[in-house]
Amino acid sequence: MLTIKNLHATVDGQEILKGLDLEVPEGEVHAIMGPNGSGKSTLAHVLAGRPGYTVTAGSVHFKGRDLLALSPEERAREGVFLGFQYPVEIPGVNNVYLLKAAVNAARAHRGEPEVDAFEFLTLVREKMRLMRMDESMLSRGVNEGFSGGEKKRNEILQMLVLEPSLAVLDETDSGLDIDALKIVAHGVNTLRAPNRSQLLVTHYQRLLEHIVPDRVHVLVKGRIVRSGDRTLALELEQRGYDWLISEAA
Amino acid sequence: MSSAVLNRLKDEYGAVRAVLPPGVIGAERRREALEALCAQGLPAARDENWRYTDLRILEQARFAPVQTQAAALPPLPEVPEGFARYVFVDGRLHSGAGAAHGVTVHTARTDDASAAAWRLEARLPEARLALLNETFATDAVSIEVAAGTQAAGIELVFIASAAATEGASYPRVRLALGADSRLSVIERHLGRAEAPSLVTSAVQVDLAPHAALTHYRVQQLGAQAAWFDTLSAELAADARYEMLAVGAGALSARSTVHARLSGRGAEFSLAAAALADGQQSLDLYALSEHVAPRTRTEQTFRGIASNRSRAAFNGKVVVREGARGTDSRQSLRGLLDGAQCEVDLRPQLEIYTDEVSCSHGATAGKLDENMLFYLLSRGIAPEAAQHLLKWAFLEDVIAKITLSDLRRQIETTLLGQMRELETLKELL
Repeated sequence: MLTIKNLHATVDGQEILKGLDLEVPEGEVHAIMGPNGSGKSTLAHVLAGRPGYTVTAGSVHFKGRDLLALSPEERAREGVFLGFQYPVEIPGVNNVYLLKAAVNAARAHRGEPEVDAFEFLTLVREKMRLMRMDESMLSRGVNEGFSGGEKKRNEILQMLVLEPSLAVLDETDSGLDIDALKIVAHGVNTLRAPNRSQLLVTHYQRLLEHIVPDRVHVLVKGRIVRSGDRTLALELEQRGYDWLISEAA
Repeated sequence: MSSAVLNRLKDEYGAVRAVLPPGVIGAERRREALEALCAQGLPAARDENWRYTDLRILEQARFAPVQTQAAALPPLPEVPEGFARYVFVDGRLHSGAGAAHGVTVHTARTDDASAAAWRLEARLPEARLALLNETFATDAVSIEVAAGTQAAGIELVFIASAAATEGASYPRVRLALGADSRLSVIERHLGRAEAPSLVTSAVQVDLAPHAALTHYRVQQLGAQAAWFDTLSAELAADARYEMLAVGAGALSARSTVHARLSGRGAEFSLAAAALADGQQSLDLYALSEHVAPRTRTEQTFRGIASNRSRAAFNGKVVVREGARGTDSRQSLRGLLDGAQCEVDLRPQLEIYTDEVSCSHGATAGKLDENMLFYLLSRGIAPEAAQHLLKWAFLEDVIAKITLSDLRRQIETTLLGQMRELETLKELL
């Protein structure tokens, strides 16, 4: 699904990713963990194609295609979804209609007709119930006046409706209380499928109590310094990151 | 340029004065208006409160009113439900009839409109182009609402059909609401796409105690047209005047709005949206004058300038001595879309008394990069994403249009103005 080789990337002229290698096979859920400033969010934004994040070396392939050659909107239509750590509020742009436009953009890209309005709304309502979101969010602006937890749930709602092949969730757990965390985790788990992959970027392992990853990778100073199964996350919870930082140095 | 233009103005008046209808404005009054205008001179860019207006069209335009019959009319939008429509073409009544019980509509055709209590003498130098209207007006519409009447609405459509070389047009409107009455008015200015028309409108609003007027003003003139507009409102005690103005058309548009709150507890709110593109210059000068105690005003402006265009809002609030307990708010925002466009926001406040609450904010900036990327990351095309954000920017004003038929029409218009993708209509 996703193959990253020797990825180097800079932000504001400063190199953040320094030769990152990562392979996420189809159907698997991988977690990227690491201390603050290790490059986790940079990786997420590079994958989504955010302007200002410059790839200086290396390659990223998504379903065998060169992902870096695609514009941000093409990546989205091809099935890459970024769940933002800090989703923006866009007053005046209706939440649900943006979602519909996103679905139709992907459908048009695949040569499919537009989604039926009634079926779409039924689907959105169903997913909203799953995310325990209030119906009033249907008529509100994108994330407008949402609490931190509501914004994160809205990100997962979008993901559930868009059904991406690859979801990159950037610190989706940050700022969530335990109830919201469980709801978000449940949403993510329902999307697990043999033809989908997920990359969870997180600082703490508590999200991984609810979403069990196939692999855990530790990112330190722009490189993956260790990979393992879920027990690696537990080990990090006990020992912290310092031992890996000193090993990397 | 001014004296040469003024001489031409006088000559043109001399040539047509015999055919100007005395039933609209008497000959003596026209002559006085012209003299007053000539004494003041035409506005110029060096005048502080005209510096954002593109006045160049005045140098070449023909001032005498259009005399020819209009060719085919452009297609008109649906009449919003519950509204009686009156259509004026190049400044003359073309069609229209009827109004709700308690509402009287006078025009030059029906009776002597000059008898109405017009007071469009320009009190301010910013309002002096009302004198041009007074000199040349070929028709006038005076709408009177009897005391206690809760009327639905009147729609006034002014179509500029002729080119400026054939002459100008002078829409003239008076809205007079009796005590405790209520009225909604839609005022539209439309034009043929290619006609470089000169439209000089004058509107007078008189609100008796406890009267409530909702006034929608939609300016969608053709891309070559010029619109110079003057509106003067007088609010008695506890009167409420809500104005919603959307400007998207014309090459050069300037609107001067002066609301005088002379009765205790009167309220005036102005919400305006301007969408400028190409070489357009859209300028709005608004003066809210608090005269009586406990009066309230609000000014909201959202302006977008793209390419080489300009959107300007010059909003002045004056609190006179004795207007204690006044409350005034201004929220002005501009969005710049391009390196060569211009947004001018000028909040001004003059206070001559104590115990007032006045706030204002003015910001101008570019599209938010974070919002833009968020939309791209959801698969929205860059151009569509930009349009969507511009749309959202105007929403503070558009959302105030509670008349759903009109709101939909304006949304469609603005989307057209943004050369919008069909799919984005879905997003509304």
